[in-house]
Amino acid sequence: MEGRDDQPTADVESGAARLRPSAVRSRGAVTWPSVDGPLGVSWEEAETSARRFFFWGFAFLPLLWAVNCFYFWPVLVSKASPSSSPHFNRIRSYVVWSSIGFLIFGVLLTAWALTFAIGGEHLFGPMWKDLVMYNLADKLQLTGWM
Amino acid sequence: MDDRSTDSDPVTAGESSILDTLGEDVIRIVSPVSLCMLLVVLLVSSLSSTNDLSSSISSLFLSSTTPTSFSSLNLLLLGSDSTWEEIKSALITALSFVVVVTLLTFLLVLLFYFRCTSFLRIYMGISSLFVLSFLGGFISLLLISHFKIPIDPLTFAILLFNLSVVGVFAVFMSKFPISMNQGYLVAIGVLTAYWFTMLPEWTTWALLIAMSLYDLAAVLLPVGPLRLLVELAMSRNEEIPALVYEARPVDPQLGDRVRVWRETTDVSIEATENSTNSANVQTVQETRLAVSEEITAPLIEAFPQTGDRHLGTEEEEDGIGLGSSGAIKLGLGDFIFYSVLVGRAAMYDYMTVYACYLAIMAGLGVTLLLLAVYRKALPALPVSIMLGVVFYLLTRVLLEVFVVQCSSNLLMF
Repeated sequence: MEGRDDQPTADVESGAARLRPSAVRSRGAVTWPSVDGPLGVSWEEAETSARRFFFWGFAFLPLLWAVNCFYFWPVLVSKASPSSSPHFNRIRSYVVWSSIGFLIFGVLLTAWALTFAIGGEHLFGPMWKDLVMYNLADKLQLTGWM
Repeated sequence: MDDRSTDSDPVTAGESSILDTLGEDVIRIVSPVSLCMLLVVLLVSSLSSTNDLSSSISSLFLSSTTPTSFSSLNLLLLGSDSTWEEIKSALITALSFVVVVTLLTFLLVLLFYFRCTSFLRIYMGISSLFVLSFLGGFISLLLISHFKIPIDPLTFAILLFNLSVVGVFAVFMSKFPISMNQGYLVAIGVLTAYWFTMLPEWTTWALLIAMSLYDLAAVLLPVGPLRLLVELAMSRNEEIPALVYEARPVDPQLGDRVRVWRETTDVSIEATENSTNSANVQTVQETRLAVSEEITAPLIEAFPQTGDRHLGTEEEEDGIGLGSSGAIKLGLGDFIFYSVLVGRAAMYDYMTVYACYLAIMAGLGVTLLLLAVYRKALPALPVSIMLGVVFYLLTRVLLEVFVVQCSSNLLMF
Protein backbone atom coordinates (compact mmCIF):
# COMPACT_ATOMS: atom_id res chain seq x y z
CA MET A 1 0.00 0.00 0.00
CA GLU A 2 2.72 2.45 0.93
CA GLY A 3 4.38 1.92 -2.41
CA ARG A 4 1.57 3.67 -4.19
CA ASP A 5 2.31 6.93 -2.40
CA ASP A 6 5.35 7.32 -4.58
CA GLN A 7 3.36 7.36 -7.77
CA PRO A 8 1.68 10.80 -7.99
CA THR A 9 4.95 12.52 -7.22
CA ALA A 10 6.66 10.96 -10.21
CA ASP A 11 6.53 12.55 -13.61
CA VAL A 12 3.11 11.90 -15.07
CA GLU A 13 3.95 12.78 -18.65
CA SER A 14 6.51 10.07 -19.09
CA GLY A 15 5.05 6.76 -18.16
CA ALA A 16 8.49 5.27 -17.86
CA ALA A 17 9.17 7.07 -14.61
CA ARG A 18 6.25 5.32 -13.00
CA LEU A 19 7.61 1.90 -13.77
CA ARG A 20 7.63 0.30 -10.38
CA PRO A 21 7.15 1.84 -6.97
CA SER A 22 10.41 1.83 -5.18
CA ALA A 23 10.90 -1.08 -2.84
CA VAL A 24 13.02 0.96 -0.47
CA ARG A 25 11.52 4.01 1.09
CA SER A 26 13.57 7.12 1.61
CA ARG A 27 13.98 6.56 5.35
CA GLY A 28 15.87 3.32 4.76
CA ALA A 29 13.17 0.86 5.74
CA VAL A 30 11.71 -1.50 3.17
CA THR A 31 8.10 -1.99 2.19
CA TRP A 32 8.52 -5.08 0.06
CA PRO A 33 10.97 -7.84 0.91
CA SER A 34 11.69 -8.97 -2.62
CA VAL A 35 13.19 -7.29 -5.62
CA ASP A 36 9.91 -7.66 -7.48
CA GLY A 37 8.23 -5.25 -5.14
CA PRO A 38 4.45 -5.46 -5.03
CA LEU A 39 4.48 -8.31 -7.54
CA GLY A 40 6.62 -10.46 -5.30
CA VAL A 41 6.06 -12.34 -2.10
CA SER A 42 4.73 -11.14 1.21
CA TRP A 43 6.87 -11.04 4.34
CA GLU A 44 5.79 -14.43 5.66
CA GLU A 45 6.26 -16.15 2.34
CA ALA A 46 9.58 -14.35 2.01
CA GLU A 47 10.88 -15.94 5.17
CA THR A 48 9.83 -19.40 4.00
CA SER A 49 11.40 -18.80 0.60
CA ALA A 50 14.66 -17.48 2.05
CA ARG A 51 14.94 -20.47 4.31
CA ARG A 52 14.15 -22.90 1.51
CA PHE A 53 16.67 -21.31 -0.87
CA PHE A 54 19.32 -21.38 1.85
CA PHE A 55 18.92 -25.06 2.70
CA TRP A 56 18.49 -26.29 -0.87
CA GLY A 57 21.68 -24.48 -1.78
CA PHE A 58 23.64 -27.07 0.16
CA ALA A 59 22.69 -29.67 -2.45
CA PHE A 60 25.54 -28.51 -4.72
CA LEU A 61 23.39 -25.60 -5.89
CA PRO A 62 25.29 -22.43 -5.01
CA LEU A 63 23.34 -20.64 -7.71
CA LEU A 64 20.34 -20.86 -5.40
CA TRP A 65 22.31 -18.86 -2.85
CA ALA A 66 22.96 -16.24 -5.50
CA VAL A 67 19.26 -16.23 -6.36
CA ASN A 68 18.48 -15.78 -2.68
CA CYS A 69 20.71 -12.70 -2.48
CA PHE A 70 19.31 -11.29 -5.70
CA TYR A 71 15.69 -11.89 -4.80
CA PHE A 72 15.92 -10.35 -1.35
CA TRP A 73 18.25 -7.54 -2.32
CA PRO A 74 16.15 -4.83 -0.58
CA VAL A 75 16.51 -6.74 2.67
CA LEU A 76 20.24 -7.12 2.16
CA VAL A 77 21.04 -3.49 1.56
CA SER A 78 18.84 -1.86 4.14
CA LYS A 79 19.11 -1.81 7.90
CA ALA A 80 16.57 -2.96 10.41
CA SER A 81 14.37 -0.15 11.66
CA PRO A 82 11.57 -0.14 14.21
CA SER A 83 8.96 0.10 11.46
CA SER A 84 10.08 -2.97 9.54
CA SER A 85 8.43 -6.34 9.68
CA PRO A 86 9.36 -8.85 12.42
CA HIS A 87 10.51 -11.27 9.73
CA PHE A 88 13.17 -8.84 8.60
CA ASN A 89 15.98 -10.04 10.82
CA ARG A 90 15.46 -13.69 10.10
CA ILE A 91 15.32 -13.12 6.35
CA ARG A 92 18.40 -10.98 6.58
CA SER A 93 20.40 -13.67 8.39
CA TYR A 94 19.51 -16.28 5.74
CA VAL A 95 20.41 -13.89 2.95
CA VAL A 96 23.72 -12.85 4.51
CA TRP A 97 24.76 -16.46 5.04
CA SER A 98 23.72 -17.29 1.48
CA SER A 99 25.87 -14.48 0.14
CA ILE A 100 28.87 -15.65 2.17
CA GLY A 101 28.39 -19.20 0.88
CA PHE A 102 28.05 -18.06 -2.71
CA LEU A 103 31.13 -15.84 -2.50
CA ILE A 104 33.28 -18.64 -1.08
CA PHE A 105 32.04 -21.10 -3.67
CA GLY A 106 32.42 -18.59 -6.47
CA VAL A 107 36.00 -17.79 -5.54
CA LEU A 108 36.90 -21.48 -5.37
CA LEU A 109 35.26 -22.36 -8.68
CA THR A 110 36.71 -19.35 -10.50
CA ALA A 111 40.15 -20.10 -9.16
CA TRP A 112 39.97 -23.69 -10.32
CA ALA A 113 38.56 -22.80 -13.74
CA LEU A 114 41.17 -20.10 -14.36
CA THR A 115 43.97 -22.40 -13.24
CA PHE A 116 42.79 -25.00 -15.68
CA ALA A 117 42.31 -22.59 -18.55
CA ILE A 118 45.44 -20.48 -18.13
CA GLY A 119 47.75 -23.19 -16.78
CA GLY A 120 47.06 -25.39 -19.73
CA GLU A 121 49.57 -27.96 -20.73
CA HIS A 122 52.68 -26.65 -19.05
CA LEU A 123 51.00 -26.93 -15.66
CA PHE A 124 49.12 -30.19 -16.08
CA GLY A 125 51.18 -31.97 -18.67
CA PRO A 126 49.73 -34.12 -21.45
CA MET A 127 46.75 -34.92 -19.22
CA TRP A 128 45.35 -31.49 -20.03
CA LYS A 129 44.59 -32.49 -23.57
CA ASP A 130 42.55 -35.44 -22.38
CA LEU A 131 40.69 -33.48 -19.76
CA VAL A 132 39.69 -30.40 -21.72
CA MET A 133 36.02 -30.42 -22.59
CA TYR A 134 36.10 -30.26 -26.36
CA ASN A 135 38.41 -33.24 -26.66
CA LEU A 136 36.48 -35.14 -24.02
CA ALA A 137 33.21 -34.48 -25.86
CA ASP A 138 34.71 -35.79 -29.10
CA LYS A 139 36.11 -38.85 -27.40
CA LEU A 140 32.87 -39.74 -25.65
CA GLN A 141 30.76 -38.84 -28.70
CA LEU A 142 28.61 -36.55 -26.59
CA THR A 143 27.53 -34.39 -29.51
CA GLY A 144 26.63 -37.12 -31.91
CA TRP A 145 23.52 -38.51 -30.39
CA MET A 146 21.02 -35.75 -31.13
CA MET B 1 5.67 22.44 -23.28
CA ASP B 2 4.24 24.70 -20.63
CA ASP B 3 0.74 24.45 -22.05
CA ARG B 4 0.99 20.70 -22.05
CA SER B 5 2.02 20.52 -18.45
CA THR B 6 -0.73 22.82 -17.22
CA ASP B 7 -3.30 21.07 -19.37
CA SER B 8 -2.33 17.59 -18.32
CA ASP B 9 -2.06 18.22 -14.60
CA PRO B 10 -5.76 18.41 -13.69
CA VAL B 11 -6.68 15.65 -16.15
CA THR B 12 -4.02 13.11 -15.32
CA ALA B 13 -3.62 13.91 -11.66
CA GLY B 14 -4.45 10.48 -10.32
CA GLU B 15 -4.99 8.37 -13.42
CA SER B 16 -3.26 7.62 -16.61
CA SER B 17 -4.96 6.77 -19.85
CA ILE B 18 -4.44 3.57 -21.72
CA LEU B 19 -2.19 5.33 -24.19
CA ASP B 20 0.43 5.96 -21.52
CA THR B 21 0.98 2.28 -20.94
CA LEU B 22 0.18 0.88 -24.39
CA GLY B 23 3.63 1.37 -25.89
CA GLU B 24 5.31 0.01 -22.80
CA ASP B 25 3.11 -3.09 -22.77
CA VAL B 26 3.83 -3.83 -26.40
CA ILE B 27 7.55 -3.30 -25.87
CA ARG B 28 7.53 -5.67 -22.93
CA ILE B 29 6.26 -8.44 -25.15
CA VAL B 30 8.24 -7.53 -28.25
CA SER B 31 11.63 -7.40 -26.48
CA PRO B 32 11.75 -11.03 -25.30
CA VAL B 33 10.52 -12.26 -28.68
CA SER B 34 13.23 -10.22 -30.40
CA LEU B 35 15.85 -11.38 -27.92
CA CYS B 36 14.90 -15.01 -28.50
CA MET B 37 15.14 -14.55 -32.27
CA LEU B 38 18.47 -12.74 -31.99
CA LEU B 39 19.99 -15.51 -29.87
CA VAL B 40 18.80 -18.20 -32.27
CA VAL B 41 20.21 -16.29 -35.24
CA LEU B 42 23.55 -15.89 -33.43
CA LEU B 43 23.64 -19.59 -32.56
CA VAL B 44 22.76 -20.66 -36.09
CA SER B 45 25.25 -18.37 -37.76
CA SER B 46 28.11 -19.10 -35.39
CA LEU B 47 27.69 -22.86 -35.37
CA SER B 48 27.17 -23.42 -39.07
CA SER B 49 29.66 -21.62 -41.25
CA THR B 50 32.42 -19.41 -39.88
CA ASN B 51 34.98 -20.40 -37.32
CA ASP B 52 35.40 -17.44 -35.01
CA LEU B 53 33.02 -15.23 -33.14
CA SER B 54 34.15 -11.87 -34.51
CA SER B 55 33.69 -12.76 -38.13
CA SER B 56 30.24 -14.20 -37.53
CA ILE B 57 29.14 -11.03 -35.75
CA SER B 58 30.64 -8.80 -38.43
CA SER B 59 28.88 -10.71 -41.17
CA LEU B 60 25.63 -10.02 -39.35
CA PHE B 61 25.99 -6.42 -40.45
CA LEU B 62 27.60 -6.91 -43.83
CA SER B 63 24.90 -9.22 -45.16
CA SER B 64 26.83 -11.05 -47.83
CA THR B 65 25.68 -14.26 -49.40
CA THR B 66 27.14 -17.21 -47.54
CA PRO B 67 28.34 -20.46 -49.06
CA THR B 68 25.21 -22.23 -47.89
CA SER B 69 23.09 -20.33 -50.37
CA PHE B 70 25.10 -21.78 -53.24
CA SER B 71 24.64 -25.28 -51.95
CA SER B 72 20.87 -24.90 -51.82
CA LEU B 73 20.94 -23.38 -55.30
CA ASN B 74 22.86 -26.42 -56.50
CA LEU B 75 20.28 -28.67 -54.96
CA LEU B 76 17.53 -26.89 -56.82
CA LEU B 77 19.39 -27.10 -60.09
CA LEU B 78 20.72 -30.64 -59.87
CA GLY B 79 17.73 -32.86 -59.61
CA SER B 80 14.08 -32.07 -59.45
CA ASP B 81 13.54 -35.69 -58.42
CA SER B 82 15.53 -35.25 -55.24
CA THR B 83 13.64 -32.06 -54.47
CA TRP B 84 10.33 -33.78 -55.05
CA GLU B 85 11.41 -36.60 -52.74
CA GLU B 86 12.37 -34.08 -50.14
CA ILE B 87 9.06 -32.28 -50.45
CA LYS B 88 7.13 -35.52 -50.07
CA SER B 89 9.05 -36.58 -46.98
CA ALA B 90 8.71 -33.08 -45.57
CA LEU B 91 4.93 -33.13 -45.99
CA ILE B 92 4.67 -36.55 -44.39
CA THR B 93 6.83 -35.47 -41.44
CA ALA B 94 4.88 -32.27 -40.93
CA LEU B 95 1.55 -34.07 -41.13
CA SER B 96 2.59 -36.72 -38.65
CA PHE B 97 3.90 -34.04 -36.29
CA VAL B 98 0.58 -32.20 -36.41
CA VAL B 99 -1.32 -35.44 -35.78
CA VAL B 100 0.88 -36.25 -32.79
CA VAL B 101 0.46 -32.76 -31.40
CA THR B 102 -3.34 -32.92 -31.81
CA LEU B 103 -3.51 -36.24 -30.00
CA LEU B 104 -1.31 -35.00 -27.19
CA THR B 105 -3.34 -31.83 -26.80
CA PHE B 106 -6.52 -33.86 -26.55
CA LEU B 107 -4.79 -35.99 -23.94
CA LEU B 108 -3.87 -32.80 -22.10
CA VAL B 109 -7.50 -31.67 -22.19
CA LEU B 110 -8.57 -35.06 -20.84
CA LEU B 111 -6.06 -34.96 -18.02
CA PHE B 112 -7.03 -31.43 -17.15
CA TYR B 113 -10.68 -32.46 -17.17
CA PHE B 114 -9.97 -35.20 -14.65
CA ARG B 115 -8.01 -32.74 -12.51
CA CYS B 116 -4.64 -34.47 -12.76
CA THR B 117 -2.87 -31.14 -12.46
CA SER B 118 -0.08 -32.44 -10.22
CA PHE B 119 0.77 -35.08 -12.81
CA LEU B 120 0.83 -32.41 -15.49
CA ARG B 121 3.08 -30.16 -13.46
CA ILE B 122 5.52 -32.99 -12.71
CA TYR B 123 5.56 -33.93 -16.38
CA MET B 124 6.26 -30.36 -17.40
CA GLY B 125 8.98 -30.06 -14.79
CA ILE B 126 10.68 -33.16 -16.14
CA SER B 127 10.40 -31.97 -19.72
CA SER B 128 11.86 -28.54 -18.98
CA LEU B 129 14.65 -30.23 -17.00
CA PHE B 130 15.27 -32.35 -20.08
CA VAL B 131 15.37 -29.34 -22.36
CA LEU B 132 17.61 -27.29 -20.10
CA SER B 133 20.06 -30.05 -19.18
CA PHE B 134 20.31 -32.31 -22.23
CA LEU B 135 19.57 -29.85 -24.98
CA GLY B 136 21.38 -27.05 -23.16
CA GLY B 137 24.36 -29.29 -22.53
CA PHE B 138 24.38 -30.45 -26.13
CA ILE B 139 24.30 -26.94 -27.54
CA SER B 140 26.90 -25.66 -25.09
CA LEU B 141 29.14 -28.59 -26.03
CA LEU B 142 28.71 -27.61 -29.68
CA LEU B 143 29.72 -24.05 -28.79
CA ILE B 144 32.69 -25.22 -26.71
CA SER B 145 33.92 -27.49 -29.49
CA HIS B 146 33.44 -24.81 -32.10
CA PHE B 147 35.20 -22.00 -30.26
CA LYS B 148 37.70 -24.22 -28.46
CA ILE B 149 36.88 -22.89 -25.00
CA PRO B 150 39.29 -24.45 -22.46
CA ILE B 151 36.81 -25.53 -19.84
CA ASP B 152 37.27 -28.62 -17.73
CA PRO B 153 34.61 -31.29 -17.13
CA LEU B 154 34.15 -30.48 -13.44
CA THR B 155 33.35 -26.81 -13.98
CA PHE B 156 31.15 -27.68 -16.93
CA ALA B 157 29.19 -30.25 -14.93
CA ILE B 158 28.72 -27.92 -11.96
CA LEU B 159 27.58 -25.05 -14.16
CA LEU B 160 25.21 -27.22 -16.19
CA PHE B 161 23.71 -28.83 -13.11
CA ASN B 162 23.21 -25.51 -11.36
CA LEU B 163 21.77 -23.69 -14.33
CA SER B 164 19.33 -26.43 -15.28
CA VAL B 165 18.03 -27.15 -11.76
CA VAL B 166 17.63 -23.46 -10.94
CA GLY B 167 15.95 -23.08 -14.33
CA VAL B 168 13.35 -25.68 -13.47
CA PHE B 169 12.68 -23.90 -10.20
CA ALA B 170 12.50 -20.55 -11.94
CA VAL B 171 9.93 -21.71 -14.43
CA PHE B 172 7.66 -23.48 -12.00
CA MET B 173 7.88 -21.88 -8.61
CA SER B 174 5.77 -18.79 -8.30
CA LYS B 175 8.00 -17.34 -5.60
CA PHE B 176 10.94 -16.64 -7.82
CA PRO B 177 12.34 -13.46 -9.29
CA ILE B 178 10.25 -12.51 -12.30
CA SER B 179 13.28 -11.53 -14.34
CA MET B 180 14.83 -14.97 -13.87
CA ASN B 181 11.55 -16.66 -14.75
CA GLN B 182 11.34 -14.65 -17.96
CA GLY B 183 15.02 -15.19 -18.76
CA TYR B 184 14.76 -18.94 -18.37
CA LEU B 185 11.61 -19.11 -20.49
CA VAL B 186 13.46 -17.28 -23.26
CA ALA B 187 16.39 -19.68 -22.80
CA ILE B 188 14.11 -22.72 -23.15
CA GLY B 189 12.65 -21.13 -26.28
CA VAL B 190 16.10 -20.53 -27.75
CA LEU B 191 17.28 -24.09 -27.08
CA THR B 192 14.15 -25.72 -28.51
CA ALA B 193 14.13 -23.43 -31.53
CA TYR B 194 17.77 -24.18 -32.29
CA TRP B 195 17.02 -27.89 -32.10
CA PHE B 196 14.18 -27.46 -34.59
CA THR B 197 16.40 -25.63 -37.05
CA MET B 198 18.54 -28.76 -37.26
CA LEU B 199 15.77 -30.43 -39.27
CA PRO B 200 16.13 -30.48 -43.05
CA GLU B 201 15.00 -27.39 -44.91
CA TRP B 202 11.77 -28.50 -46.57
CA THR B 203 10.67 -30.24 -43.38
CA THR B 204 11.10 -27.05 -41.37
CA TRP B 205 9.00 -24.98 -43.73
CA ALA B 206 6.31 -27.62 -44.04
CA LEU B 207 6.26 -27.93 -40.24
CA LEU B 208 5.89 -24.18 -39.75
CA ILE B 209 2.98 -23.90 -42.16
CA ALA B 210 1.32 -27.03 -40.77
CA MET B 211 1.63 -25.79 -37.18
CA SER B 212 0.19 -22.38 -38.00
CA LEU B 213 -2.80 -24.01 -39.71
CA TYR B 214 -3.18 -26.34 -36.74
CA ASP B 215 -3.02 -23.39 -34.34
CA LEU B 216 -5.70 -21.59 -36.30
CA ALA B 217 -7.96 -24.64 -36.23
CA ALA B 218 -7.31 -25.62 -32.63
CA VAL B 219 -8.05 -22.21 -31.18
CA LEU B 220 -10.91 -20.99 -33.30
CA LEU B 221 -12.91 -24.10 -34.13
CA PRO B 222 -15.45 -25.00 -31.42
CA VAL B 223 -14.16 -28.58 -31.39
CA GLY B 224 -10.52 -27.50 -31.22
CA PRO B 225 -8.56 -28.84 -28.23
CA LEU B 226 -7.08 -25.50 -27.25
CA ARG B 227 -10.46 -23.84 -27.17
CA LEU B 228 -11.84 -26.67 -25.02
CA LEU B 229 -8.92 -26.28 -22.67
CA VAL B 230 -9.42 -22.56 -22.33
CA GLU B 231 -13.13 -22.95 -21.68
CA LEU B 232 -12.46 -25.63 -19.07
CA ALA B 233 -9.96 -23.41 -17.30
CA MET B 234 -12.34 -20.47 -17.44
CA SER B 235 -15.25 -22.42 -16.04
CA ARG B 236 -13.19 -23.78 -13.20
CA ASN B 237 -11.29 -20.59 -12.43
CA GLU B 238 -8.05 -22.47 -12.57
CA GLU B 239 -4.81 -21.78 -14.27
CA ILE B 240 -3.60 -24.21 -16.88
CA PRO B 241 -0.21 -25.70 -15.98
CA ALA B 242 1.83 -24.64 -18.98
CA LEU B 243 4.87 -22.72 -20.08
CA VAL B 244 3.75 -19.20 -20.74
CA TYR B 245 5.70 -15.98 -20.92
CA GLU B 246 3.95 -13.31 -18.94
CA ALA B 247 5.15 -9.79 -19.44
CA ARG B 248 5.56 -7.72 -16.34
CA PRO B 249 2.54 -5.44 -15.88
CA VAL B 250 3.38 -1.80 -16.39
CA ASP B 251 1.46 -0.41 -13.47
CA PRO B 252 1.55 -2.88 -10.64
CA GLN B 253 -1.36 -2.46 -8.35
CA LEU B 254 -1.48 -3.57 -4.76
CA GLY B 255 -0.61 -6.90 -3.32
CA ASP B 256 -0.25 -10.22 -5.01
CA ARG B 257 -0.97 -11.13 -8.54
CA VAL B 258 -4.68 -11.54 -8.23
CA ARG B 259 -6.60 -13.39 -10.85
CA VAL B 260 -8.71 -11.26 -13.13
CA TRP B 261 -11.70 -13.51 -13.32
CA ARG B 262 -11.93 -14.17 -9.62
CA GLU B 263 -12.42 -10.49 -9.15
CA THR B 264 -14.92 -10.36 -11.93
CA THR B 265 -17.15 -12.89 -10.23
CA ASP B 266 -17.24 -10.67 -7.16
CA VAL B 267 -18.13 -7.69 -9.27
CA SER B 268 -20.78 -9.59 -11.17
CA ILE B 269 -22.65 -10.52 -7.99
CA GLU B 270 -23.34 -6.87 -7.43
CA ALA B 271 -23.92 -5.92 -11.00
CA THR B 272 -26.11 -8.69 -12.35
CA GLU B 273 -29.25 -6.57 -12.39
CA ASN B 274 -28.13 -4.69 -15.44
CA SER B 275 -26.80 -7.61 -17.39
CA THR B 276 -28.74 -9.60 -19.90
CA ASN B 277 -29.33 -13.32 -19.78
CA SER B 278 -26.69 -14.59 -22.14
CA ALA B 279 -23.52 -15.68 -20.43
CA ASN B 280 -21.30 -14.16 -23.05
CA VAL B 281 -22.56 -10.66 -22.51
CA GLN B 282 -22.25 -11.15 -18.78
CA THR B 283 -18.65 -12.17 -18.92
CA VAL B 284 -17.84 -9.30 -21.23
CA GLN B 285 -19.53 -6.84 -18.93
CA GLU B 286 -17.90 -8.24 -15.83
CA THR B 287 -14.47 -8.16 -17.27
CA ARG B 288 -14.99 -4.72 -18.71
CA LEU B 289 -15.92 -3.51 -15.24
CA ALA B 290 -12.89 -5.21 -13.79
CA VAL B 291 -10.65 -3.75 -16.43
CA SER B 292 -11.88 -0.24 -15.97
CA GLU B 293 -11.82 -0.29 -12.19
CA GLU B 294 -8.91 -2.42 -11.33
CA ILE B 295 -6.26 -2.60 -13.92
CA THR B 296 -5.10 -0.09 -16.48
CA ALA B 297 -4.11 -2.86 -18.82
CA PRO B 298 -4.69 -1.74 -22.36
CA LEU B 299 -6.06 -4.30 -24.62
CA ILE B 300 -7.77 -7.43 -23.76
CA GLU B 301 -9.49 -9.71 -21.43
CA ALA B 302 -8.54 -13.02 -22.82
CA PHE B 303 -7.54 -16.29 -21.47
CA PRO B 304 -4.42 -18.40 -21.51
CA GLN B 305 -4.45 -21.28 -23.87
CA THR B 306 -2.28 -24.27 -24.21
CA GLY B 307 -0.87 -26.22 -27.04
CA ASP B 308 1.29 -29.27 -27.05
CA ARG B 309 4.48 -28.80 -28.91
CA HIS B 310 7.89 -30.34 -29.37
CA LEU B 311 6.98 -33.95 -30.03
CA GLY B 312 5.17 -34.30 -26.78
CA THR B 313 8.14 -33.93 -24.50
CA GLU B 314 6.88 -30.66 -23.12
CA GLU B 315 3.81 -28.56 -23.02
CA GLU B 316 3.85 -24.93 -23.86
CA GLU B 317 1.04 -22.56 -24.32
CA ASP B 318 0.26 -21.09 -27.62
CA GLY B 319 -1.60 -17.98 -28.34
CA ILE B 320 -1.92 -14.66 -26.72
CA GLY B 321 -4.00 -13.46 -23.86
CA LEU B 322 -4.14 -11.36 -20.76
CA GLY B 323 -2.46 -12.60 -17.64
CA SER B 324 -3.94 -12.57 -14.20
CA SER B 325 -2.27 -9.33 -13.24
CA GLY B 326 -3.22 -7.52 -16.42
CA ALA B 327 -0.10 -8.20 -18.42
CA ILE B 328 0.09 -9.70 -21.88
CA LYS B 329 0.74 -13.43 -21.99
CA LEU B 330 2.35 -15.12 -24.95
CA GLY B 331 2.79 -18.87 -25.19
CA LEU B 332 6.26 -20.34 -25.42
CA GLY B 333 5.32 -22.26 -28.57
CA ASP B 334 4.98 -18.94 -30.35
CA PHE B 335 8.46 -17.88 -29.26
CA ILE B 336 9.82 -21.17 -30.54
CA PHE B 337 8.20 -21.13 -33.96
CA TYR B 338 9.01 -17.49 -34.63
CA SER B 339 12.63 -18.21 -33.78
CA VAL B 340 12.64 -21.35 -35.93
CA LEU B 341 11.49 -19.31 -38.90
CA VAL B 342 14.13 -16.64 -38.35
CA GLY B 343 16.81 -19.25 -37.65
CA ARG B 344 16.03 -21.06 -40.87
CA ALA B 345 16.13 -17.71 -42.68
CA ALA B 346 19.55 -17.14 -41.12
CA MET B 347 20.78 -20.34 -42.71
CA TYR B 348 20.28 -18.75 -46.11
CA ASP B 349 21.40 -15.17 -45.69
CA TYR B 350 21.05 -12.25 -43.33
CA MET B 351 18.82 -10.36 -45.75
CA THR B 352 16.10 -12.94 -45.26
CA VAL B 353 16.62 -12.61 -41.49
CA TYR B 354 15.82 -8.91 -41.54
CA ALA B 355 12.84 -9.40 -43.83
CA CYS B 356 11.41 -12.25 -41.76
CA TYR B 357 11.99 -10.36 -38.50
CA LEU B 358 9.99 -7.40 -39.77
CA ALA B 359 7.27 -9.71 -41.08
CA ILE B 360 6.96 -11.50 -37.74
CA MET B 361 6.82 -8.25 -35.79
CA ALA B 362 4.15 -6.97 -38.14
CA GLY B 363 2.21 -10.19 -37.66
CA LEU B 364 2.52 -9.88 -33.89
CA GLY B 365 1.23 -6.34 -34.06
CA VAL B 366 -1.73 -7.44 -36.17
CA THR B 367 -2.47 -10.23 -33.70
CA LEU B 368 -2.41 -7.81 -30.77
CA LEU B 369 -4.75 -5.53 -32.67
CA LEU B 370 -7.15 -8.38 -33.39
CA LEU B 371 -6.94 -9.32 -29.73
CA ALA B 372 -8.04 -5.81 -28.79
CA VAL B 373 -10.94 -5.99 -31.23
CA TYR B 374 -12.22 -9.51 -30.61
CA ARG B 375 -11.38 -9.83 -26.90
CA LYS B 376 -10.98 -13.58 -26.84
CA ALA B 377 -8.20 -16.10 -27.01
CA LEU B 378 -6.43 -15.86 -30.34
CA PRO B 379 -3.76 -17.93 -32.08
CA ALA B 380 -0.54 -15.95 -32.39
CA LEU B 381 1.10 -18.20 -34.99
CA PRO B 382 -0.86 -17.98 -38.24
CA VAL B 383 -0.53 -14.31 -39.20
CA SER B 384 3.17 -14.03 -38.31
CA ILE B 385 4.21 -17.35 -39.85
CA MET B 386 2.30 -16.76 -43.08
CA LEU B 387 3.74 -13.25 -43.43
CA GLY B 388 7.19 -14.60 -42.57
CA VAL B 389 7.04 -17.34 -45.16
CA VAL B 390 5.77 -14.97 -47.85
CA PHE B 391 8.50 -12.43 -47.08
CA TYR B 392 11.15 -15.16 -47.05
CA LEU B 393 10.12 -16.36 -50.50
CA LEU B 394 9.88 -12.85 -51.90
CA THR B 395 13.26 -11.85 -50.45
CA ARG B 396 14.98 -14.96 -51.67
CA VAL B 397 13.52 -14.85 -55.15
CA LEU B 398 13.20 -11.15 -55.88
CA LEU B 399 14.96 -8.90 -53.39
CA GLU B 400 18.27 -10.69 -53.28
CA VAL B 401 18.84 -10.47 -57.00
CA PHE B 402 18.03 -6.78 -56.91
CA VAL B 403 20.30 -6.02 -53.96
CA VAL B 404 23.20 -8.06 -55.29
CA GLN B 405 22.98 -6.38 -58.68
CA CYS B 406 22.86 -2.94 -57.09
CA SER B 407 25.75 -3.68 -54.75
CA SER B 408 27.98 -5.22 -57.39
CA ASN B 409 27.39 -2.20 -59.62
CA LEU B 410 28.14 0.10 -56.67
CA LEU B 411 24.77 1.71 -57.01
CA MET B 412 23.27 1.32 -53.52
CA PHE B 413 23.73 -0.56 -50.22
